[in-house]
Amino acid sequence: MSSAAPTGTGAGVSNNGGAATLLRVQDATMQFGGLTALTTFCLEVKAGDLQGLIGPNGAGKTTAFNVMTGVYRPTSGDIIVDGERVNGHLPHQVNRAGLARTFQNIRLFKDLSALDNIKVACLADDRPASSMFSRTRVNALRKQGNFVGARTLDAWGNYLDWWRALLTTSGFRADEERITERATRLLEVMGLQHRKDELARNLPYGEQRRLEISRALATSPKVLLLDEPAAGMNTREKSELMILIRKIRDDFKLGVLLIEHDMKLVMGICERITVLDHGETIASGTPAEVKNDKKVIEAYLGVESKELQA
Amino acid sequence: MNGVLKGLLPFAVAIPLLWLAQFLTKDTPFLVILSLTVGVNITLAVSLNIVNGMTGQFSIGHAGFMAVGAYIAGVVSKMTSVYGISFLPEGVSDQVLYVVSLLAGASSAALFGFLVGLPSLRLKGDYLAIVTLGFGEIIRVFVQNTELFGKALGLSGVPQRTSLFSCFFVVVVVVVVARRIAASSHGRALLAIREDEVAAEAMGVNTTAYKVRAFVVASFFAGLAGGVFAHYQSIVAPSSFTYVKSMEIVVMVVAGGLGSTTGAIIAAVVLTLLPEALRSLFLNITGDGSIAQRVEQIRMPIYGLLLVIIMLVRPQGLFGTQEIWQVWPFRKRAKPASTTPGAP
Repeated sequence: MSSAAPTGTGAGVSNNGGAATLLRVQDATMQFGGLTALTTFCLEVKAGDLQGLIGPNGAGKTTAFNVMTGVYRPTSGDIIVDGERVNGHLPHQVNRAGLARTFQNIRLFKDLSALDNIKVACLADDRPASSMFSRTRVNALRKQGNFVGARTLDAWGNYLDWWRALLTTSGFRADEERITERATRLLEVMGLQHRKDELARNLPYGEQRRLEISRALATSPKVLLLDEPAAGMNTREKSELMILIRKIRDDFKLGVLLIEHDMKLVMGICERITVLDHGETIASGTPAEVKNDKKVIEAYLGVESKELQA
Repeated sequence: MNGVLKGLLPFAVAIPLLWLAQFLTKDTPFLVILSLTVGVNITLAVSLNIVNGMTGQFSIGHAGFMAVGAYIAGVVSKMTSVYGISFLPEGVSDQVLYVVSLLAGASSAALFGFLVGLPSLRLKGDYLAIVTLGFGEIIRVFVQNTELFGKALGLSGVPQRTSLFSCFFVVVVVVVVARRIAASSHGRALLAIREDEVAAEAMGVNTTAYKVRAFVVASFFAGLAGGVFAHYQSIVAPSSFTYVKSMEIVVMVVAGGLGSTTGAIIAAVVLTLLPEALRSLFLNITGDGSIAQRVEQIRMPIYGLLLVIIMLVRPQGLFGTQEIWQVWPFRKRAKPASTTPGAP
C-alpha cells in the first residue's frame, strides 16, 4: 500500500528538487455534512523545505492541518508521509509516521514541568536502537506493509517496558537517563534550559510557544507543522522566532509547513506559499508569484466594485 | 540484574517490618481488624488514583471490581480449602491456596476491567463514569441473584486467612507499582492524557491503549483488595459493594489530591479511622451510645461536608498532584512534580 504513492499533479510541487518528498497531500477533500471545508487540496513538502500556508479567516488552514495529522479523516484524497499512506490513521499513528504539529491555541501539558512536557514526546523513540523492539525495527516493518507484525512487535516491546519500569532494571534506568538527556538538549535548542523545572503553565507566552515547538521536535518528525507559531507575539519576537524556525529546519533537516497571518513575515521567510480561500487553493508558488496573484489580492482585500460585476 | 535487585529493595525492607508488626499486634485483635480495613482501603484508593488521578479518567465503580475480586477469591478459596495440597504441610498449603485465590480474584477483576474499559475508554469524555457506575450496580445485582455467590445473604464460610502481613504486603506492592508507573515513560504518558488528551495523541501517545492499561492495573488491585477483604470478613455480602463504597474511595482519592499516591494513602487512613474516632467522641460527649451507634448513618453527610470544605479551601486536594516529599517540609516554592527514575 505504501509503495503505491501516486505522483503529484503539479500543484504544490516544491522547488527543492533533489530532496525526497516527505509529505504529499493528494486532492484531499474534507466535507462536514453539506459544508466543504477543504476542496482538492494538494501539497508537497520535501526535506529542507520551509513552506507557508496562508489565507483569510475560515479559509480552511487549520482544517488542512487536522486532515493531515489524522484528527479528521479526509472525505477523499490521500495523505502520504514519507511513502506511507496515513489517511484514516489515528493522530498518534500519523505522528509515528513522521508528522508532528503544534496548535493554534497552545496545548501544553500545563501541570507538568517543561522538561516533562518534552519527555512525554520522547516516547516515540524511547527504546535504544540496539533493542529488538526498537522503533527503527517497528517502523521498518510498517514500511514493508507488515502492519500486524509492526503492531505485535511494538506491543511486546510495550509489555517488556512495563515490567522493566516496575522492576526498575538497569536498562530502564539507562533509558530514562537517555530520555532526560535528549529532552534537556531539546530545551537548549529552544533556549529554555533555565525553565527546565518550571511548570509549563508558569512560562511566559512566547516561551510556551517555543516549548510547544521543541515538544513537537522530540517526536523526531520528518515534517513539522506549525499552526500560527507567532500568534500574539510582537514584531521583534516574531522575527526571532522565524530565525529559530529556519535554524531548526537546517539543524534537524526536516520540512516545515507553517500557518501564519502576518503576510510580511510569511513572505520574508517562506520559500513557497500556498493560499487557501473558502477551502480552495487559489494560488501556490514563490512569495513573489503569490504576492501579485489577482485572486490572492481579491481574497485579502475584496473584489473591486463587486456590484458592477454582478 | 543488579537493577532488578535494587528494584526489589522496597520489598526486602518491608517484609521484616511487616513480620515485626504482625508479631507486635498479635494480642490486640481490634487493632488488627482496624488495620486490615485501613490496608484494604489504602489499596483501593491508591489503585483508583492511577485511573482518576494520574490518567484523569473518572471511574466511579471501583467497588464493583472489588466485588469481583472478593467473590471469585472467596469461591475459589472455599472450594479448594476442602482439599488442600497433599504434599505440603497444612499451614503452607493454606497460604498457597490463599495466594492462588487472591490472584484468581484479581485476574478476574482485571479481565472485567479490560472488558469495561476497552469500549468506554476509546471515547473522550465522561463515558467511563457512566459505564463504571452501571458496572458496579450490575455486579452487585448479579451476585445478589446467583446461588453460587450466596444471593443476598452473601458468601459465608470463606476461610479467614488474611493476616496483617499479607494485607500490608499487598499495600506495599500497590504503592510501589503506582509510584514506579508514575516515574516511567508510561506514567508520563498517563499524565499527558490527563493534561490534554488531544495534544497527547498528537505527540504519538496511543491514548486508548494507555488508558485501558491503567484501568486494567487499577482493576487488578481492586480485585486483590477484594480478595484480602473476603479473607478476613469471612462473609462476603453484596451490601459491602454498593455505590456508597465506590464513592467512599472516590472521596479518598479526591481528598488526598488527584494524582498523589501519598495523598491517597493519608486520606484513606484518615477517612477509615474517622468513623471510629467519631464513635468514641460521641460516646464521650453523650455518655450513652445513642448517637455513637448512628455513626455509620451520619458518615456520608460528613463525607459530603468534607468534600465541600475541601473544594472551597483546597480544591486540588491535600497534596494536589504532588507527593508528600515534594510539599513537606513546606518549601517557599514547591518544586514541580518531576519524574526522576528510581523514586520508590
